[in-house]
Amino acid sequence: MPEATEKKTATIAPSSPPPAALGKADDGSGVTRRSFFSWISIGWLAFVTATGGFFTMMLRFFFPNVLFEPIQTFRAGSPDEYQAGEVDLRWKGKFGVWIVRDDEGIYALSTVCTHLGCTPNWLAAEQKFKCPCHGSGFRKTGINFEGPAPRPLERYRIVLADDGQIIVDKTKKYQQEKGQWGDPEAFLKV
Amino acid sequence: MAEKKNLLQRLAEGQIWTSIFRGGGVPKSRRQRMMVVLNSVFLHLHPVRLPKHAVKLKFTWCMGGLSFFIFLILTISGILLMFYYRPTIEYAYTDIIDLAEQVPFGIMREIHRWGAHAMVITVWLHMFRVFMTGSYKPPREFNWAIGVVLLLLTLLLSFTGYLLPWDQLAIWAIAVGSNMARATPFLGHEGPGAALLAIGDINFVTVASDVRFALIGGRFLGEATLLRFYVLHCIGLPFVIMIFMAVHFWRIRKDGGISTPV
Amino acid sequence: MEGFKHLIDVLAKPTILVTFTFVIFFFIFPPSDWFDKWHRRLKFDALWGKKSLIIITGLLIAFFVFGLGDPDFRSIVLKPDNVPISGLIFLVFFFTWLSMSQAYKNDELQEAGKPVDEHYDAPNDKVLVWPDLVYVELISLVLCSAFFLLWSIGLAAPLEEPANPSESPNPAKAPWYFLGLQEMLVYFDPWMAGVVLPSLIILGLMAIPYLDNNPEGAGYYSYKNRKLSIAIFMFGWLVLWVLLIVIGTFLRGPNWNFFGPFEYWDSHKVEALTNVNLSEFIYVKWMGTGLPGNILLREIWGIIITLGYFMVLPPLLAKTWLKDMYAKLGVARYSIFIVLIISALTLPIKMYLRWMFNLKYIISIPEYFFNF
Repeated sequence: MPEATEKKTATIAPSSPPPAALGKADDGSGVTRRSFFSWISIGWLAFVTATGGFFTMMLRFFFPNVLFEPIQTFRAGSPDEYQAGEVDLRWKGKFGVWIVRDDEGIYALSTVCTHLGCTPNWLAAEQKFKCPCHGSGFRKTGINFEGPAPRPLERYRIVLADDGQIIVDKTKKYQQEKGQWGDPEAFLKV
Repeated sequence: MAEKKNLLQRLAEGQIWTSIFRGGGVPKSRRQRMMVVLNSVFLHLHPVRLPKHAVKLKFTWCMGGLSFFIFLILTISGILLMFYYRPTIEYAYTDIIDLAEQVPFGIMREIHRWGAHAMVITVWLHMFRVFMTGSYKPPREFNWAIGVVLLLLTLLLSFTGYLLPWDQLAIWAIAVGSNMARATPFLGHEGPGAALLAIGDINFVTVASDVRFALIGGRFLGEATLLRFYVLHCIGLPFVIMIFMAVHFWRIRKDGGISTPV
Repeated sequence: MEGFKHLIDVLAKPTILVTFTFVIFFFIFPPSDWFDKWHRRLKFDALWGKKSLIIITGLLIAFFVFGLGDPDFRSIVLKPDNVPISGLIFLVFFFTWLSMSQAYKNDELQEAGKPVDEHYDAPNDKVLVWPDLVYVELISLVLCSAFFLLWSIGLAAPLEEPANPSESPNPAKAPWYFLGLQEMLVYFDPWMAGVVLPSLIILGLMAIPYLDNNPEGAGYYSYKNRKLSIAIFMFGWLVLWVLLIVIGTFLRGPNWNFFGPFEYWDSHKVEALTNVNLSEFIYVKWMGTGLPGNILLREIWGIIITLGYFMVLPPLLAKTWLKDMYAKLGVARYSIFIVLIISALTLPIKMYLRWMFNLKYIISIPEYFFNF
């Protein structure tokens, strides 16, 4: 009889209720090697899970639920204030946006270089944006043509408010390489 | 036969002195000199005896020791700087100016800054010396690896310190550095493979959940970035580097001390 | 004078400077017997004599003194953050010389059958830490402290204008010890230059003791028995790290253009840098068909080249040119070693491709942020 019980205990799955194995230890025959190992694996499993959970907690700690960030939408005056063919620098300092007007309309270019996030300078004489950090160059449209930048500058959502003022919304971006510049809100027809 | 003793000798044999420095007196015999090293918590980092080339500057260049000493200088000057510096965008820059102009002996930041440059150089030269003497060869392979980690931590400490003055140099160095994190494969939102970690339209790696965010505490450089780098610079990384230094020094002894020709 | 400055400016052009360094480097640090033969024939071994130390240090000082007379050179060298780099040039040269001269001396001793300089007769050649070591330490500490005190009193730490997120300084440089990385960023996408290659540098450094299974030269300076490993380390350190720092400090100016050390930093200097991807070379320039819409079809040539470089080249080398090394290292060591080496070599390769053909990416898939 002890023989049979022992076999049974020894083969229990790790999820079996602990008392069976505990009871086994009491009847004098001691913990068998197999049951010992199943206990060890439960223990290790619990330890690893707990440690993993702890590190997940610590990792999640670095991502707060609320961010206190500057406002992302602004009014940029009426379209008449912008000259066709010009790159307007007035919002560069405060909001990080160039407003460019060409013959067809107005678009809002992000001033963040797509390479590593420096702010390029508009060189009017050469009609290009040139990044001082690693030398990326962009045409007036935002298309990259020299240096390491992997893709064109991003454009922001640009629409007209009811009062005829331009609203630039930086929370919505349009990327040329994804074919989003054709989107009606990526471009303000005038 | 009463020997005539001067005041210094009396002091050195008195109760106070001998209670602090076991053995007392100036160590003169071989045995006394060995005991000095063994009995001091600071000196017993060293073995009692060394191969003769280990004390030659031509061989060691003293670069490992200097790196450690500069680390101590940086720790002390860094603690002093912390008494005045506030890690907020409003105050950081002006506090740095005040440290030079309003604080007596206002060269602590200079010592800290130049010390940081010097430590990078001494750590490099130490690595160079260890390579040239083949001292990374068995049984010291593991300690070489620890040393590489120490080099990396030295660079990271210096890099996190760069942001703290919150001047032009600071934010653009960090802007570039943190945007590199953005390009980490799978973990950064503009890294290769990040777009694959998505279910349907929901991306898991976005500008608000990637490794860059964890580093700078937001989607843009700002208040949270300064605080994170400050904590990493003053507490986080020094804590880690001290653990690795302890292992490094311990292993020098355990691997048989300074390397010698077989 | 002006002619000399102009000559230096021309020689400092990256194509000339880097090519010259690459060509001459392995004759100075010979990795094999063949190179060693020429090293000695070209009398480069005299570099590690006492005379060379004095002459080269003198020349370096003379160059800096002469350069300080030039306003453009002066403005770079005297920038507080660049002071450690000028110091670094002298230190690196001095310590390279110091280690190599001892190595050559030991090589000669060994050849003559004598014990090396560091020869150590276990129990007899021991000295006591107190006082033989502690006094060396004490003197170093005092000198080091005095040095920092004087340096700090004499030279204010750099502080630029308050941070302005909308205006990048021009040029915007990384901390000097990361200028090598910043240089790599010009030729590689950030995920390679900022993440993968630095990780490989760290892992590669850690792997050195496990890859170098040559038991010779442990515990003393030597060169003869460790030619290859020292030559590789020197190349990685002196060329791919220190030289790139020097280039980044002294030769990179506004808009990250190259400038000679005596050239005025003109922020409107126009450089035609229109970059072309391999796919555009093949489909637009050579076949004249325009880029195919299918990404895989568009990039297939680049993918084939890259896979060939990383998958076919190592076994090929193991069978041919590096046969002896393969036999010595075994499969595991050889594989790791060769992957590290050819990864490091992608940097010079991409530099030259950029300078000569304006080639930007070999594989370019911006849709998935995968550019190589």
